[in-house]
Amino acid sequence: MSGGDIAAIFQGAIVTVTLSLIGILIGLPIGLGLALLRWANVPVLARIVALYVSVSRATPLVTLLLLLFFALPNIGVPVSPTSAAVLALVMNTSAFNCEVWRSALANFPKDQYEAAQSVGMRAGLRFRRIVLPQIVRVSLPGLVNEMSMLIKATPALAVVGVVDITRAAVRIGAQTYKPLPPFLVAIALYVPIVFVLVSLQRWIERRQLAAKVAA
Amino acid sequence: MAQLVLDVAGISKRYGDVEVLRDVSFQVGKGETVCVLGPSGSGKSTLLRCINWLERPDAGQIYLNGAQVGITGGGLVMGDRDLSRIRTRIGMVFQHFALWPHLTVLQNLMEAPVQVQKRDKAEVRDEALALLAKVGLSEKRDSFPAKLSGGQKQRVGIARALAMRPDLLLFDEPTSALDPELVGEVLVVMRDLARDGMTMVIVTHEMGFAREAATRVLFLDHGRAVETGSPERFFSNPETERARQFLQRYAGDAAGGRR
Repeated sequence: MSGGDIAAIFQGAIVTVTLSLIGILIGLPIGLGLALLRWANVPVLARIVALYVSVSRATPLVTLLLLLFFALPNIGVPVSPTSAAVLALVMNTSAFNCEVWRSALANFPKDQYEAAQSVGMRAGLRFRRIVLPQIVRVSLPGLVNEMSMLIKATPALAVVGVVDITRAAVRIGAQTYKPLPPFLVAIALYVPIVFVLVSLQRWIERRQLAAKVAA
Repeated sequence: MAQLVLDVAGISKRYGDVEVLRDVSFQVGKGETVCVLGPSGSGKSTLLRCINWLERPDAGQIYLNGAQVGITGGGLVMGDRDLSRIRTRIGMVFQHFALWPHLTVLQNLMEAPVQVQKRDKAEVRDEALALLAKVGLSEKRDSFPAKLSGGQKQRVGIARALAMRPDLLLFDEPTSALDPELVGEVLVVMRDLARDGMTMVIVTHEMGFAREAATRVLFLDHGRAVETGSPERFFSNPETERARQFLQRYAGDAAGGRR
């Protein structure tokens, strides 16, 4: 395996990280928004969200991606492999995130919410100051778990030609007839990426714990 | 009656087939302590929650200082903004305290005055500290609610409601979730408030407290306001058979004056 090969796998790593990060950053708030629509039981919309979430969760990422990539141009929406990949990741992860947020919202103590109402906090303030800080804490492990699942699902993006870590490794293995080195490099790259996420979660949890102990 | 603070006029509420409140009316004057008594399921808590529109009454009107709660001048149901503005005038103390666990005791007190009333933070802080001193919890100001006993939590709950400088304070069975030995410390605070002239409506099962601290009692049975009057009259010589039966069941408590 040449230096160029290793550089190619690193190139793939940049693609993996970038697409995952975009998927997470867009999918996280969308998931929260969807969960809020269901929580507030907004007529019609809540039903649509429920259907969307069920279908998105049941659809394999590869299938969803192929559908988007080949079907959207058919109805006059041209998509590049990258934009189809981002769209598929966002649809997939927002559906899973929605369920994590929703369970935190569903378990949120009603009387705390009523206490916020009783002191005259309006809906936005109630959510921002009372509900959100607490559901973030509860949801964090589930969300980080979902993020690491998302990262590990990115090799599926290769079906439309996105060259991520795994795709780069496959190519090099096929060219050199020595698949072992590139795949070892690939795994060596996935581990620290996910590790960064888990460390971030630990750091946030430790900070919250420290705040409690200090008091 | 002194200046009228709360006027509840013909409130009714039903859940499906169950009529929880039937045409309940009563008034509360400034500085009064009205204790709402009655058997479980008589609609006491629902009545209280209708006053600040946490529950929406099906019929009837509620007026706070002459202004209608829940219905706009145009006769429409109030939106979040109008309702929230009125609720700042009505404090509420919850059975299970309902403190915000991610905030310290002091932050619990300061949250709404700063965020909702937009009052000066330093001034709110001074007032919150004074309130904590009043309920005997100065040393707990930086603790999180999880570190407090039930009695302490409820005293914080009362201080949090007071921090808004409300015109009226509602108590929803404030001591029902407490261990018996912690009830007294909460009742002491409530008795002080009554003495200081805070206007209060208290749903409670503490007959000793009602007898001693209430200026008036309201007896509910099956969603109806069956009887109202001075605690002396109600406890020694109730008018209705239902009230008599109810008091008999509490005879031990009332005579013993549970503290």
